Amino acid sequence: MKKGLWQEIKKYRIAYYFVLPTFLAMMTLHIFPVFQAFYMAFLKLNQFTISQYLMAPFVGFDNFYQILFNADSPIRIGLFESVRNTVIYTIVVTIGTTAFGMIVALMVNRKFRGKNIARALFLFPWVVPTYVTGLLWGFMWQKEIGVINLVLVDWLKLLPSKPFWLLGPNTMWAIIIPTVWRYWPLSMLMLLAGMQSIPDELYEAAEIDGASGWRKFWSITFPMLKPVWAILLLFGLIYNTYSFNIVIMMFGFGAGYPGEWGDLMMTNIFRNTFQQWAFGVGAAASVLLLIVMVVIVNFWFRFYQKAEEMRE
Amino acid sequence: MRLTYYMQQRLMKRAIDVVMVALLVITLFPIFWMVFSSFKSNTEILLGKIPFGKAGNDVMFIDARGRALFAFTSDGGLNKFDIDTGKLLKHDSVKSLATSFAADDHNVWVGTSDKGLVQVSLDDFSKKRGFSHGIEGFDINKVVSTSLADDGKYVWLAFQQKNIETLLKFDKEKMSFVGEVPFASALSPSQATSLLRDGGLLWIGTNKGLVALNAETGKVFKTFGLGSMGLPPVDIRGLVKHGGNLFFATARGAYEFSPAAGTIKRSFGIDEGLLSERVNGVSFAGNKMFVATNAGISAVDLENGSVTNFEAVFTPVAGSGDKKSLVRADVFGVAERSGKLFAGASSGRISLIDLGNDTVEKAYLAKDGHTVVRWRNYIDLWKNINFGLYLKNSLIICGITMVLAMIFATLAAYALARFNFPGSNFFSIGVLATQMIPSIMYLIPLYIMFTKFTMLTGVPMKGTYFGMILVYSAFFIPFSIWILRGFFAAIPVELEEAARIDGCSPFQVFWYIVLPLAVPGIIATGIYVFLTAWDELMFAWVLTNADTMTIPVGIRLFVGNYQNRFDLMMAAATVATIPVMILFFMLQKHIVKGLTAGAVKG
Repeated sequence: MKKGLWQEIKKYRIAYYFVLPTFLAMMTLHIFPVFQAFYMAFLKLNQFTISQYLMAPFVGFDNFYQILFNADSPIRIGLFESVRNTVIYTIVVTIGTTAFGMIVALMVNRKFRGKNIARALFLFPWVVPTYVTGLLWGFMWQKEIGVINLVLVDWLKLLPSKPFWLLGPNTMWAIIIPTVWRYWPLSMLMLLAGMQSIPDELYEAAEIDGASGWRKFWSITFPMLKPVWAILLLFGLIYNTYSFNIVIMMFGFGAGYPGEWGDLMMTNIFRNTFQQWAFGVGAAASVLLLIVMVVIVNFWFRFYQKAEEMRE
Repeated sequence: MRLTYYMQQRLMKRAIDVVMVALLVITLFPIFWMVFSSFKSNTEILLGKIPFGKAGNDVMFIDARGRALFAFTSDGGLNKFDIDTGKLLKHDSVKSLATSFAADDHNVWVGTSDKGLVQVSLDDFSKKRGFSHGIEGFDINKVVSTSLADDGKYVWLAFQQKNIETLLKFDKEKMSFVGEVPFASALSPSQATSLLRDGGLLWIGTNKGLVALNAETGKVFKTFGLGSMGLPPVDIRGLVKHGGNLFFATARGAYEFSPAAGTIKRSFGIDEGLLSERVNGVSFAGNKMFVATNAGISAVDLENGSVTNFEAVFTPVAGSGDKKSLVRADVFGVAERSGKLFAGASSGRISLIDLGNDTVEKAYLAKDGHTVVRWRNYIDLWKNINFGLYLKNSLIICGITMVLAMIFATLAAYALARFNFPGSNFFSIGVLATQMIPSIMYLIPLYIMFTKFTMLTGVPMKGTYFGMILVYSAFFIPFSIWILRGFFAAIPVELEEAARIDGCSPFQVFWYIVLPLAVPGIIATGIYVFLTAWDELMFAWVLTNADTMTIPVGIRLFVGNYQNRFDLMMAAATVATIPVMILFFMLQKHIVKGLTAGAVKG
């Protein structure tokens, strides 16, 4: 058995050579730091102890205690809000991008003139860097000079007076809408590719049976696209939970605090870590975030597999 | 029945078309708005001046010569009218916002917002342009407001900008700048607001008082502070010499100043009708002084000090429509001709006023403002904010990252796609699992590792290209592997097997057979890595310094420093977007194929 494994390894020598550089790079700059982060979560690492590196005072679960249970800890300021915002933000953005991408994918999947141009044009927002997205929408959301209030209030007269978008609960929309705008083209792209791989015979058969367009979508397109939108939901969940650029650029003016309705977990952790120099607490918070993410992804896989089984 | 079904279908199709086009417009609008706003001035943005707005064409300079009436507007428009009929004889533009004017016998010198000093011939409006001259710390192109004074041989320029206490001397014959004359004085720091050449002296009106400069030696000759004149702190504008004394205007009124005594001899205004309004300029005709205000013109008889107000200036001009109600009604310039007064006001309106009975005899209209394409924001971006450095850093870091990540990822992805070696499954899952880790979880240890490493070895890591490239490469390799694997899996194995039978080594197979076939996929993935690295802010924020800062960090920094400079922000955003957009759409087909290949497989 041992001999067999060794022979296998020898047989695939070339594969190991190919993988080795990546393996080393990932080990030193990926895996090694992550393991350190796990350890740092138990250290009192701040601007005074940073030079001690991993020899900084070991404080056990104190960092976790400060985050989770000590209501008076300065770390806790804005923590609840950022968690609440992240949950709302992630759910709305993930479902929003996928749903919107689906709608537009259905629209451009028809036969019409200028089909290719329309598809290319719809991709434009996705090429705009996220930090530009934040900056640009931060400008568009401005109360007096922003174009959104101009259109909504002055032109269309949908609202009686110009609202503050970057203040109070409205902030939620102010960060959700740009994110959806930036990311839905990717969903559209993926779903469109999926739609084009669905065999036409299915639709033809449904048409003979007299199925309506609506029925065809729910009975053929939607289930056939399941691998695509399931992946989109999963990746959306991960990426949106870790969203950072859009919010930090949109509220870059002044102190950089997005307010209690705009703060996300990443911006919160980043602020605590690199502005208050609380590295240990930052590491602990990111460990907690990772644990939550692992649990969610695990649930997602369970759910996905169960649904697959039920279908079969 | 059949017909209605088809009609229904067609109607439905039309409706979807309409919705789709609407969505497309909404989707693309923000990008349009970004580029559009980057060409506006911040004032336009802050005033909420919208679209397609032409630059305001306020008549700033007006001069009657022979049978011609010249009216130059703030958008750089040059108008020549027939003085009797009011017919527009000639129109041209310096294609930049004009901030100041000075005239001699044949030419008018125009200080512009982004074309430097422009010479315009009054005979045929021929233009000589483009005198840029750098003084340490500023550039003529970025100065919004200038004042000009003309004296036969030289044109003098003063800049209305903080910390610039320097005059520029421009030689009209050589057509070049010949010197800088600092005028720092007892009143410093001050800001020049007007300029007058008088005999051997240059008078500079500032926000602190008057400065007299010897034009030959460039030495400060005398200063008169506003306080010593008994005036509140205001900008001195519209400096004119008349009958041995100086006249000037402030926002509060007009004043006669005696240089010999150093005191205000007479003051006009404060409570005298129109003179209580904001005063824009002063000019003379005979024994009368005409003060242009934002409510009309006041004529002051210098003999007895009586004030006559002319408010008729604002009778709407035929054909100007509702323009009058849209703009402020300021009078900026006045020219007198045999008992008639030409008043140049906002929005291109020129009125010929009969001084005898305060009626508008004729009304002329200067041509509409030009839509000025302003590159000033982009110039500022390079000159003031050092955006070129950020761009260079981003290109270097992202470019090298792309190459490195592609080399590593290609090898690994090929191995994972082709060989089912012990540990390959584990490695694949590991590659995917890294995507789940929040990036701040690498950042914290990396930051401390870099700090510690530099402490121990003295080799700088933070703030170097090397450190950034190292981090980015490692960070983007896993995702690249994931995409590239799909490409390699799609290449038929039979090719490789045939090559093996012909006696190729595994590496030769990879190098000569597989790699050429995978090039499109590698390019697509590389571009994707480039785009993602271009978009990365958090690592760059922490791990770069002033010299290696990438675009997002640079923008983030100046958003803090230049608060509410939306024009600059949008210009920066445009510059950051355009390269990646071009790159993407050049290689769009490959990238789309690469990204969707993985998705369809699930």
